[in-house]
Amino acid sequence: MPDKKSRATGPSLGSVLKSDDLAYPDGKFSAEMDRALRERPSFSIRSRLLLAFTLFFVLTLGITLWTMEILGDVHEKILFLEVADDFKVELQQARRFEKNFLLYGTNLDDARQHAVRAQQLTAKHSGRFLRIIGKDSLVVMNDQLAQYIKLLDAIGHGDRKKYESELRQHGAKMLRLAQDFVEKERKLVQSMLVLARRVPFIFLAALAILMVVVGVFLARQIIGVLTRLMEHTKRFADGDFTPIPPARKFRDEFSKLALMLNHMVRELDRHQRILTESHKLRAIGTLVAGVAHELNNPLNNIMLTASIFKDEYESIDEDERLEMLDDLVEQSERARKIVSNLLDFARQSETSIEPLDIRKILDETVALVGNHIKVKKIKLVLDVSDNLPVVHGDRQLLSQVFMNLIINAMDVLPEKGEIRIATRVDGDGDYLVVDISDNGPGIPEHIMGQIFDPFFTTKPSGKGTGLGLSVSRGIVRKLGGYIEVKSQLGKGTTFSVLLPVTSIPSELSANNSKRGKGTLVD
Amino acid sequence: MEDRLQIMLVDDEEIVGKRLKSSLEKEGYAIEFFLTGSEALKRLDEKHFDIVVTDIRIDEIDGLEILDAVMENSPETKTIMITGYATAEIAREALAKGAFDFIAKPFRPKDLREVIIKAARQIKRD
Ligand SMILES: Nc1ncnc2c1ncn2[C@@H]1O[C@H](COP(=O)(O)OP(=O)(O)O)[C@@H](O)[C@H]1O
Ligand SMILES: [Mg+2]
Repeated sequence: MPDKKSRATGPSLGSVLKSDDLAYPDGKFSAEMDRALRERPSFSIRSRLLLAFTLFFVLTLGITLWTMEILGDVHEKILFLEVADDFKVELQQARRFEKNFLLYGTNLDDARQHAVRAQQLTAKHSGRFLRIIGKDSLVVMNDQLAQYIKLLDAIGHGDRKKYESELRQHGAKMLRLAQDFVEKERKLVQSMLVLARRVPFIFLAALAILMVVVGVFLARQIIGVLTRLMEHTKRFADGDFTPIPPARKFRDEFSKLALMLNHMVRELDRHQRILTESHKLRAIGTLVAGVAHELNNPLNNIMLTASIFKDEYESIDEDERLEMLDDLVEQSERARKIVSNLLDFARQSETSIEPLDIRKILDETVALVGNHIKVKKIKLVLDVSDNLPVVHGDRQLLSQVFMNLIINAMDVLPEKGEIRIATRVDGDGDYLVVDISDNGPGIPEHIMGQIFDPFFTTKPSGKGTGLGLSVSRGIVRKLGGYIEVKSQLGKGTTFSVLLPVTSIPSELSANNSKRGKGTLVD
Repeated sequence: MEDRLQIMLVDDEEIVGKRLKSSLEKEGYAIEFFLTGSEALKRLDEKHFDIVVTDIRIDEIDGLEILDAVMENSPETKTIMITGYATAEIAREALAKGAFDFIAKPFRPKDLREVIIKAARQIKRD
């Protein structure tokens, strides 16, 4: 039966599918996001890695140069110390001979010779002296040495008494100065060597700390972006197709990924729209074919009956004439019903919205079908809770929805079957749910996707119009709700009508656009 | 065997059967009417019909299936298809399968009568 109907989908309907409708409606917004993603300054992961490695290199280079500098200094100072030692020794020699001269009157020339040699040493290595002890100290030292030689000369020329103590003092001072310098430099060299030995350890420690810091920083950045993108893809999977907005001040390789993801989502959305659209088209096809077929049957009956009534008027008896007239009325009524159902289907825009007492509506609806139920000896259980949340809607249309579902259940139930109507509030309290269950034969999997299509029916013609469920779904959708089906072959079927709980009617439209992609039926 | 033309009529609309049966019987045809395809198929096994008039859409069993059964068991029988809404495709399919002609709903008894007369003439010629 179902595939017979699907033959009706005429190719001419294809023109209804306008390409405009399929364009991504938020295209502008999405393009803006893409531009925002793209227009940030670039700071790629590659350049971040390059920066980190450059930093390490510069640090290593700095430390190496510094160490080389220290070692150069040490080398310089050691060379100086060698000369300074010689210098000191010359001065010590000079002083020893000076003592000899003062005690025994000998060796004055030797003393002078050593002093001059010391003078020659500073002259020869003046550059080195200058660099290490500085100009001032060198001048002082040279002056003292010159003064000492002068004193030696003066004493040699006879004024021994006059210069003796001055010579002694001066010699001691000069020697102390030289010794101090040498000592100081030696200590300096020692401490520099100690430092040079520590540098590698300090360097290693600094490097380790830096590596950990940079590593953690980079990893955190990359993992952070990955987590964020993962959250976005999860959101996409849930049907929220809002593009990924930029979250950082710069762009990198991940931004390209985000752009591609946005692109993918746009395509997904477009395809989904095409699918929905083609589904709608199929429904329109079924509708048109259904109208044609449904109307054709009563029309055919009327045409046959009326023609025969006219052609054979003389030859048929009174009773038969009356029967034919009855048939004419009945078939016209049947056509009228199809048209009015169709109008219901089309009329869904003129709903009046008011706060509803679901309990009352259910009671009234059940009362309306009560008679039929009694005739078929079906048991009807009404299990409605007392304080239901407020929903808004059109009472008559909603009553029609419940009526359609009850009639459908009645149609499939054998004698002594059971219909159960129950109310509940769904998990989050967002929806008031009315469950209408039967213990009938259930709905086979392969027609599940079609039962809501207009004019889809498995009932013999004349009995089912196939409009009940599609009209009901239209009404409930209009109110921001939806209808769910659960069915088990041989066990029964439950249709659940979910109506949004609202305190003000204007919430309806907002609700309407918010929900809906993941439901079974819609 | 009587010499009246034996006609089987299959349609899921009671009124179609009621009206056409009495009207065609007045014309001198022997009519048997069936509401469902399965009943019709059962009867086809038992009896030979000269003409079968069947709706394309009937419940579980398609008019095309009845056509198939007729073509298999008695190909000399003329089958006339009634289509709910004349889709060229199904009509062409039926003709290709060997249907004699088709007629679109809604139709007048006289339209059907003409097709039946055409079929009867063909049968005489065969
Ligand atoms: N409670 C039910 N149990 C089993 N099948 C059902 C039930 N309700 C609906 N259906 C199936 O869905 C089809 C479409 O239902 P509907 O749109 O109300 O049209 P109609 O009742 O006129 O056939 C029915 O023909 C039937 O096959
Ligand atoms: Mg129904």
